[in-house]
Amino acid sequence: MRWTKARKRVVLETAIVFMVVAAILLVFLIVRKPGVTGTAWVNPNKYSSSTLIETPKKFDGKAIEFTGEAVGESMVRSAGKNGAKGAWIHLNDDAYMNHGVEAGGGFNGYNSGMAIWVEPASLTKAIEHYGRYKENGDIVRIAGTFNAACAEHGGDMDIHATGIEIVQRGKTITHKVYAWKLISALFLVILALAMLAINRRRFLKEQIAVFMNR
Amino acid sequence: MILRPAQSSYRVIGKYSGKVITGVGLLMTIPMVTALAMREYNAFFDFVIGCALSMVIGLGAQAFFRTDKDLNWGEGLVVSAGSWIWAVMLAAVPYWLSGHYKSFLDACFDTMSGFTTTGLLLVQDLDHMSYALNMWRHLITYAGGQGIVVIALTFLFKGTAGAYKMYVGEGKDERLLPNVIQTARAIWLVSIVYLGVGTLVLTVVNMFLGIAPVRAFFMATWAFMGAWSTGGFAPMSYNTVYYHSLIQEVVTIIIMVAGSMNFALHWAVWTGKRKEIYKNIEIQSFTTGVIVFSALAMVGLMRAGIYPDAMALARKTLYTIISGATTTGVSIVYARALVTQWGPIGLVAITLSMMIGASACSTGGGIKGIRVGIMFKAFVQDVKQTIMPENSIMRTKYHHIKDSDLTDELIKGTGMIVLLFLLTYLFSAVLGLLCGYDFTQALFEGVSAISNTGLSCGVTSPSMPEVMKVAYIIFMWVGRLEFVSVFAVGAHLIAVFKGK
Repeated sequence: MRWTKARKRVVLETAIVFMVVAAILLVFLIVRKPGVTGTAWVNPNKYSSSTLIETPKKFDGKAIEFTGEAVGESMVRSAGKNGAKGAWIHLNDDAYMNHGVEAGGGFNGYNSGMAIWVEPASLTKAIEHYGRYKENGDIVRIAGTFNAACAEHGGDMDIHATGIEIVQRGKTITHKVYAWKLISALFLVILALAMLAINRRRFLKEQIAVFMNR
Repeated sequence: MILRPAQSSYRVIGKYSGKVITGVGLLMTIPMVTALAMREYNAFFDFVIGCALSMVIGLGAQAFFRTDKDLNWGEGLVVSAGSWIWAVMLAAVPYWLSGHYKSFLDACFDTMSGFTTTGLLLVQDLDHMSYALNMWRHLITYAGGQGIVVIALTFLFKGTAGAYKMYVGEGKDERLLPNVIQTARAIWLVSIVYLGVGTLVLTVVNMFLGIAPVRAFFMATWAFMGAWSTGGFAPMSYNTVYYHSLIQEVVTIIIMVAGSMNFALHWAVWTGKRKEIYKNIEIQSFTTGVIVFSALAMVGLMRAGIYPDAMALARKTLYTIISGATTTGVSIVYARALVTQWGPIGLVAITLSMMIGASACSTGGGIKGIRVGIMFKAFVQDVKQTIMPENSIMRTKYHHIKDSDLTDELIKGTGMIVLLFLLTYLFSAVLGLLCGYDFTQALFEGVSAISNTGLSCGVTSPSMPEVMKVAYIIFMWVGRLEFVSVFAVGAHLIAVFKGK
């Protein structure tokens, strides 16, 4: 195919049109969805994780109760005493403990929680759901001792639990695919393929040259 | 007289920017595959949109701006700095579509933080994030560590003289091999070999720590990317606190120190020059910094009596200071605990370690060890000169890959960059102060952003003033590109509007 002046002009004009459309779409994507602030959040704990982190000295070595969503997983470790095993779990007492932000929870800042050492590890078997993308974790209440810098665990801030109770079962979440995302994706893929076709000759030539030079 | 850039200048900038943007689009295929593998279809379409949009703009720019002209110095620097802005905006599209960000500005903040390997974040509800989006967060920081331009040079460029100008514009100036394209590929070779080995080791460690195999693999990949790129991102909001493991901490220390070393040093060691590790000025500067600032932090922590024993004290202090000195930002202490437990002495020690930062031509940021080493040697030379006979001439050398003379021109250039960094650090603290934050905390956070570290004492949050979000985005960008490219963009804009 020869690149005549007229053909070049057509290609340039097409490129301009495509780029304008893409720019409009980019603007559409940017302004599409303003963030929604979540409803006022009431922490279930008398002493929240934020309070414990802000004033660790005040609570160091004290017995406390702590409730939160189990997130991540239970990590079973050797406890070092009588061959028994303990487990690390993490309980989040933040605004997302009932609904993650993608599950309609609204925005309420960062995640916040506390690391819990559970001994024996078998106690954590009661937890069925851990908070992740596809799961709302079980809401778990523990009773234990708060350590500002735990001597047993390398100076970590943690709570050593002596009892564990499931307050509310978590559930599996289904994330639906929105129609507008499908349509936008389809439209943009067609545009991208059109751009690729316009560039095909030059692009392929360059790529072949790059590979030949290796 | 300022000259307005010629039309050919726009064309060449547009063409090469298009290539870099296309590279960003191609990178999004990795989280797309992750989304399909983990059956996260909603996230999959976020990446299809982001990828296709990048391709439309990238390929569109290449179609529209056709030229055979090569880049000159100014254009190369503008392409480098400009591509970062485009890349940040386009990479933010999947972030924004995920619903984890309250505004597009917040999403851009996190992508700039990722590409510049900073690690500060505004993402909300991180603990419920998809595998695909986590892959993208860490991939951005891994790619940003090597350099966006380096990616494009590796895969989308044929050897041109202009390519070197773009490469320099991204804050790198070491040529490992005679050809800049070969240098870019050598950087990737080093990084990918480490990625394979590091991921394997961390996967085994994670499984030993009680994490299921598939999740252990993903978390290992991300932990490696976060540490090697000195980005400091982690898949859980607890960061490295989540693992509660000395082994994990030791392995990540090794990875982040390796990532913070100059690629030229890696290449020298790879090609058999092992003695370089002991002789190199950057390694000497880094080691001295870690020892001095760790000792300072330990004095503060011992006085406060925070940690129960010497082991806990050494573990927390060394990890945090090395995280700061390598400008990684991974943490085994809660962010606010740096204020409530570590106190002012601890904060100052970390701030100083972040200010100096890592090696030049590495994935890290900050003033850089080589500059501090050069300024220190220049200072010693000046002191010696004053006590020597008036007519004597002193010749001082420093060792970085080879012995080089400490010339007046080198000292002047180095001093200029050091001064710019220090002024920007001060400006960030004053800005924080004006926005109502405590000066020490504002300085800590500002230094963390400019040196691309990412350790936070709680100033950075989704509710921080918008003006600070914008300022931090610029700080991270300026810090990563080390001023020169950003000045080139400014000069280019002035020339466009005021040139004749």
